[in-house]
Amino acid sequence: MNVYLRELRAYRKSLIIWCVCIIFFVVSGMGKYTAIYSGMNSPTDFLASMPKSLQALMGGGAFDLSKAVEYFGSIFLYLIFMATIHAVMLGSGIISKEESDKTTEFLMVKPVSRSRIITAKLFAAVTNIIVFNLTTLISSIAIVGKYSKGEAVGGDIARLMVGMLLLQLLFMSIGVAFAAASKNFRATGGVSTGILLITFIMSMVIDMNENLEGLKYITPFKYFDAKTLLVGEGFNPVLVLLTVAMIAGLTVLAYVRYNKRDLGH
Amino acid sequence: MNAIEIRNLTKYYGKSRGIIDVSFDVKQGEIFGFIGPNGAGKSTTIRILLALIYPTSGSATIFGKDSIKYAPEVMKDVGYLPSEVFYYDGMKVIDLLRYSASFYKKDCSKRIKELSEAMDLDLTKKIDDLSFGNKKKVGIVQGLLHEPKLIILDEPTSGLDPLMQQKFFELLEHENKKGATILLSSHVLSEVQRLCNRVAIIKEGKIIKLEAMNALNEENFKRFKIDVAADIPKNYFQFDGVNDLQVKGKTHSFLFKGNINEITQKLAGIKISNLWVDEPDLEEIFMHYYSKEE
Repeated sequence: MNVYLRELRAYRKSLIIWCVCIIFFVVSGMGKYTAIYSGMNSPTDFLASMPKSLQALMGGGAFDLSKAVEYFGSIFLYLIFMATIHAVMLGSGIISKEESDKTTEFLMVKPVSRSRIITAKLFAAVTNIIVFNLTTLISSIAIVGKYSKGEAVGGDIARLMVGMLLLQLLFMSIGVAFAAASKNFRATGGVSTGILLITFIMSMVIDMNENLEGLKYITPFKYFDAKTLLVGEGFNPVLVLLTVAMIAGLTVLAYVRYNKRDLGH
Repeated sequence: MNAIEIRNLTKYYGKSRGIIDVSFDVKQGEIFGFIGPNGAGKSTTIRILLALIYPTSGSATIFGKDSIKYAPEVMKDVGYLPSEVFYYDGMKVIDLLRYSASFYKKDCSKRIKELSEAMDLDLTKKIDDLSFGNKKKVGIVQGLLHEPKLIILDEPTSGLDPLMQQKFFELLEHENKKGATILLSSHVLSEVQRLCNRVAIIKEGKIIKLEAMNALNEENFKRFKIDVAADIPKNYFQFDGVNDLQVKGKTHSFLFKGNINEITQKLAGIKISNLWVDEPDLEEIFMHYYSKEE
């Protein structure tokens, strides 16, 4: 419990900053909705006239951008990007900072096992991620609701946020697993963030080129696509299971490796 | 029962040597010195005892329990002061000490007060703002606040001024009288001589000597530098126990190990204009004595 509370306190400031950023992003992102919608009769037609690659960068062309919640779906990718960056840095940092700050010699000589320390840190990280997710959920429902002319948006947004939560947990586990497994604490954050960037860019490339659709299993960013969640068939159970299995596998890896390796500083 | 038993402990970091086949016991209630030059393997041995790193082979027990396998349980009775102390950002001294105390299932608040008063430590300051010596004091209080039965100290006095060092030694002796066993690593011979009952000397990863302190005290190491008033033969000071004899003009300097009266008798026979007697550092002693005894 003491380690959990210590970690919450240590990450409080950064969590507040992230939450302010995410609210700011939702507000400003939806602010453009009025700009686009009021300036043209049919933004969807306008978008449809653009080349496919440009559409992909704008969040995909399958959306009816005159609907507030579908417009929100098109900026959702960037929300996910922020959320996963937060998650991967959090997961990596919460483990490796004991070594980078040289506090292992304080914490690890206490009468607690390494497993219990990881557990406490995981709980603290998940708490941060849930707060991040709920902040996004509540601010999105409030702000999208403001533009949706009475249409209920809660269910749609909640579905998107469940997808985001799974991705957050996945990237947190990637960060945790690399930091716990590797002795080189300076490199682990970079490696995890690198994986995130590569898979993110890959998902963009897949969006631009229909022929690459088969690669969608490789990048987690395609698992919970806003388009499928909002206007398509919803959650794909195989991909949900795959995500949960990866989270579990990475977490087990973190425990096993952290218990076995030398702690340096 | 021995407080610590180390058996054939070997540690390689990849291919590079940590320690090789280290074995020794620390008896309950004694102050045990662990000395050797920097890089000899003192910290490696201690880090294995604390289960921060794992041995390549061999084993160590603390109060009869395997120190790796039962680390969380063993650590209830161990207090540790690292050679360099690092703590979490933005914490006040008292917050850190309370956090440390929260790991032990006992009330340590009275002890924190006593220890910080004894070490003259301001509890309300932020740790980031403290000097190196004051951080070290936080480390001392932090390592002792749960009244450990075994205190492990890695180069404890670096950064402490002589007055604080004195207070700290008194504190350690007090804990020892109350029953605590102490393992103290150092590369300064005199502080080990001042405190310890027995010592192990480690060099290049191997224990080269294990003996009672009074035996080592007989081996009194001194560095002499003498300015003579009138010329004397260059080999005037060349006799048993003298090493590294250098003569530059009227200045004779050498390392000496043995009965100091032999030197004073020699000195009485000549006229000198100045005399310096210093404590040689451990590297020097090792270079001129222990390297030959192997």
